[in-house]
Amino acid sequence: MEHARHVFRAVLVLVVALAAVSIGRGFLVPRSYGLHGPYRYDNVKEQMAVRAPRHGGAASCAPCHAEKAAKRTAGAHRNVSCEICHAPLSRHVAEGKRTEAMPIDRSYLLCARCHRKVLGRPEKFPQVALEQHLSEMGAGPAEGKVCLDCHDPHSPKP
Amino acid sequence: MDADNTRSACLAAEPAEAANDPGRRDFLKGALRLAGGAYVFFAGGPLAEGEVPGEGYDWTEHRYAYLIDTEKCIGCGSCARACAAENDVPDGFFRTWIERYVVGVEGSHVDSPNGGKDGFPPVQVGFEATKSFFVPKLCNHCKETPCIQVCPVGASYRTKDGLVLVDGERCIGCAYCVQACPYGSRYLHPVKHTADKCTWCYHRVTKGLRPACVEVCPTGTRMFGDMKRENDPVRLAIEHERVSVLQGHLRTEPQTYYLHLDKEVR
Repeated sequence: MEHARHVFRAVLVLVVALAAVSIGRGFLVPRSYGLHGPYRYDNVKEQMAVRAPRHGGAASCAPCHAEKAAKRTAGAHRNVSCEICHAPLSRHVAEGKRTEAMPIDRSYLLCARCHRKVLGRPEKFPQVALEQHLSEMGAGPAEGKVCLDCHDPHSPKP
Repeated sequence: MDADNTRSACLAAEPAEAANDPGRRDFLKGALRLAGGAYVFFAGGPLAEGEVPGEGYDWTEHRYAYLIDTEKCIGCGSCARACAAENDVPDGFFRTWIERYVVGVEGSHVDSPNGGKDGFPPVQVGFEATKSFFVPKLCNHCKETPCIQVCPVGASYRTKDGLVLVDGERCIGCAYCVQACPYGSRYLHPVKHTADKCTWCYHRVTKGLRPACVEVCPTGTRMFGDMKRENDPVRLAIEHERVSVLQGHLRTEPQTYYLHLDKEVR
């Protein structure tokens, strides 16, 4: 009888400990942890759906802006996505409806980001040293002038 | 000699005793083993779920890779701006950025003002520059990455389609991974206080779109491809061209490859 009591106590302790471990584990370890490795697999799905894509690509502009799109694809800026100079599509369109006007930056700095002559750019790439360019063109001093006075951004001269 | 005798006596005595009457010690030993076995048995079964992470997307059918042709980069910074807009990257932090290298025989100069987001201003260097170029950088999504190894909570992991991602819910913001990354690709998000980094726009690529930086690159410097797709231009380039990776000596096996990389680039 003495043995049986000892066995019963030990088994009881074991059962309680096991229950505590498995319940604690259930609370502490996320549901999908370990399915494919030591990480929470549900996060893969969360990352896929973290937000709707914001950049639509150049093709997404053509349905409404066919004229500008055609001009762009015919010119030297054919590889320059609309969203580079304007903004991501999501700022302008939501669920197929226009929400907000697209920003139109007409400043010198917009063009300068790509075309200002600085160290680092490939030599073949068209670059402009502003003062030199203006004097070559006989266009006078640079004050108050922007590139778009003479150039069409959707189809600049090559 | 004495000690040896005692030990052998003990070894001989134990099995005999155990055979007659399991003492408390042996009983507890056995019970613990049983408990361990039961624990392993019960713990081994997390909830089973489907293979496919999302509708219509099987991550075992893709293995992505990224290719950068540094010869084409004009340093416009469109990629870094698009990345920030696409992924809500806070100001002053970068998931991708562009570095400018100005190199001469006498020295070299590297700069990346605001990560190149606003383009690059003219630069003066104190030596005669013989070459200069831009190098876009981003997470290399390494196969053998130190950032996952050091994570103490399993927040950083590698997906079956070849990306390294951070689970913001698991991350405790200890920044070990930020320290461990040899490429400086990670940062601690100033608001969320968790590690953050390039995801190759996982929310886009799993829908068949290109990452935002690749989408806007005007020169084709940045290319995104799938190594499991035949005739994929990036796969062909990696298979047939002379490509290199950043800091190859670290054996992290980056999946962001570079064409025409200079020795100055780290």
